[in-house]
Amino acid sequence: MPQDEISFTDFIASSIHDMKNSLMMQVHALESVATECRQKGDLETVQRLGGVLYEASRMNSSLIQLLGIYKFDKAIYPMDVVEHSLADVIAEAVMQNTSNLNFKGLKITTECDPDLYWYFDRDLVSGMLLNALNNAYNYTKSRIHIVAKQADGMLELRVEDDGRGYPASMLSNNSMGANKGIHFSKGSTGLGFHFVSRAARMHKNGGTCGSLAIENGGQWGGGCFIVRLP
Amino acid sequence: MSQDKEQTLIAQLKKANILIIDDFQGMRTMLRNMVKDVGGVKIDTAASGKEAISQLKQLNYDIVICDYNLGPGPNGQQLLEEARLNNYIGAAAVWIMVTAEKTTDMVMGAAEVKPDDYILKPINQDMLQTRLEKLLLRKKSLGGIEAALKAKNYVGAIEQCDLKIREKPANLQEILRIKSDVLLTIGRFEEAATLFESVLAVRSVPWAKTGLGKVKFHTKDYEAAKRIFSEVLADNRIFMEASDWLVKTLDAMGDTVQAQKVLQDAVGLSPNSAVRQKALGETAYKNGDLDLAQTAFEHTIRISEFSPHKSAAVFAGLAKVFSEKNSPVEALNVLKHGKREFKDSPGAELETAIAESMVYEKMGQQDKAQEAMAQAQKLKGDLGGALSPGMAMEMAKALFRLGDKEAAAALLRDVVKNNHDSAGISAQVQALFESEQLGDEGRALIQASRQEVININNQGVALGREGKLDEAIALLRQALQEMPGSETVMMNLCGLLIVQVKKCGRSDERLAGIRELVYRVQVLNPANKKQHEYAAALNAL
Repeated sequence: MPQDEISFTDFIASSIHDMKNSLMMQVHALESVATECRQKGDLETVQRLGGVLYEASRMNSSLIQLLGIYKFDKAIYPMDVVEHSLADVIAEAVMQNTSNLNFKGLKITTECDPDLYWYFDRDLVSGMLLNALNNAYNYTKSRIHIVAKQADGMLELRVEDDGRGYPASMLSNNSMGANKGIHFSKGSTGLGFHFVSRAARMHKNGGTCGSLAIENGGQWGGGCFIVRLP
Repeated sequence: MSQDKEQTLIAQLKKANILIIDDFQGMRTMLRNMVKDVGGVKIDTAASGKEAISQLKQLNYDIVICDYNLGPGPNGQQLLEEARLNNYIGAAAVWIMVTAEKTTDMVMGAAEVKPDDYILKPINQDMLQTRLEKLLLRKKSLGGIEAALKAKNYVGAIEQCDLKIREKPANLQEILRIKSDVLLTIGRFEEAATLFESVLAVRSVPWAKTGLGKVKFHTKDYEAAKRIFSEVLADNRIFMEASDWLVKTLDAMGDTVQAQKVLQDAVGLSPNSAVRQKALGETAYKNGDLDLAQTAFEHTIRISEFSPHKSAAVFAGLAKVFSEKNSPVEALNVLKHGKREFKDSPGAELETAIAESMVYEKMGQQDKAQEAMAQAQKLKGDLGGALSPGMAMEMAKALFRLGDKEAAAALLRDVVKNNHDSAGISAQVQALFESEQLGDEGRALIQASRQEVININNQGVALGREGKLDEAIALLRQALQEMPGSETVMMNLCGLLIVQVKKCGRSDERLAGIRELVYRVQVLNPANKKQHEYAAALNAL
């Protein structure tokens, strides 16, 4: 195939494929090193590996977000809205992060009716949860609480922590959908919030569409990351 | 996961034949270790699509874990299609696609070409374990339905669906969707419509809305079908099933120009679907857009190199495009290429021979055109005369060009007789005559052929009523020799044979004869109402 026939979409997709392979091998190798260290009682190295694994998870999250936004913009995202069990999707998101959450000694609790089913795109909601968990990991002191429930005819998905909460400047701009000029001091690009609010808005039912909101409070008075889906 | 569940999973995995397909050594080893750690024992690996196919042919795998991106050769999706198409994997087998991103084909394709699940990378052992457990449970719960479907026992499949629905399972939507598909297949349109409407009353989901459109299409309310499919696409541009059906609807309405636009949109979104690219080529050719037809056919050939959808019609189509663009040398080259690809397939060879005859004729090389046509006639004989209406009409077109009006008319007469109650086919045959300035002759031929079939059927039924069963059966058997594709003849004959069993007693031979006819019509047209009636009667005999 001549060079100019390779579309940018194919390029992005194949590069991300490649990067995800590398990431997967990397994480797998790191996890087995950590297991060995733990067996040898070298807990200091285990601690340090935890930080590296967290960075790998952030990188994965960014790859998902970049590809997602690219496809939203091109209107080629294969939106696949079907019924899913919230308990399953949350359990899987937690599972994906078990290793780095364990390293920091964080406690995760989930509050979700096992019979709660909702219509959504599984990959987008997993991506949103991954982003929320990575954020909470960074800002929480000791624990993260995930809640899924039905409220006012919408699905409400909350990720709460016991950290300092969001700064006032961010809360005042609490229409995350618009997302104009949010500045993050700690190396955040705003990519995550942009992705989540776009992904939430991709979910429509009748006249309503999904949204993202942030607030302080919740179970432990820390930051709350709230996604609502119709 | 509870310990009980974990135990069952381990027990199941221990027995299962598992195949892991990935082109990277590192990934294969990693996946293999993960599967081993969750309890898998009989694990094979394949490094390429080619290797995978030979393994799939040899052993009946229960679980296939396949990377989507397999380097040169077929990708995971094409592999899955080939495995399903050739029955290399059973209905109960689980196919999991491991992938970096969800693709349109993976989630928006037809049910039979979708993997049972896909997992986005990076995956870890816990995830794989949970997914495997869920999939095996789901397969088990759908096992009865899938087995019935595979045996084409549609009524049985519906009964199984209803049993499940009463249990109010977690995957209720999935079962409703399967049931609705079966209802459409066997022509129970009203029930299907009720099902779709009840789903839509709760929420507007694209599959149910598309289903409602299909009901409109089948009941020939094309305007409504067009409106519904367009609405689905307005909300879900990427829902390819609605796009495919919109094209079908526009074709039935004769609006090939609009159909081309919809197809162009669709291939923009899923450029690697060989089926859609081929449809675009054919539609563009019909519309006289030769450049687009050429691009689409060329693209089809490129992407279907490793696909089970590879088709000789694409080579023939591209050759005709070149021929019409006055590039006969390219046309002949394409056909030569096609011949290499499809040796040992008489159907494909016939298609190529017909196209070859047309190309030579346009070049003014009558001898070679005649030679190719003689070859086509021979191949047609080898096939036992069982040509699809499309292929027969194509051949008739070539015969007209060669000036062999008689042979062309004979072919078209058979087409009409085999499909005497299809207004659509009659219209196509008439259009073919019109394009040769033979409109009147066409009308007369169609009229006479249809009347002939009607007369034979009436005569058979009348003889049966007079009690001359043997005579009636002999008459319709004779008629079936001449028009092996006629549903009406088959069903009338079937009715007579049932009466014969009731009167003269049953025998294995008689029952087998009835069963064969019911089965032939079921394959030809599962929505045929008579066939359902006779299938039930057969069970009661």
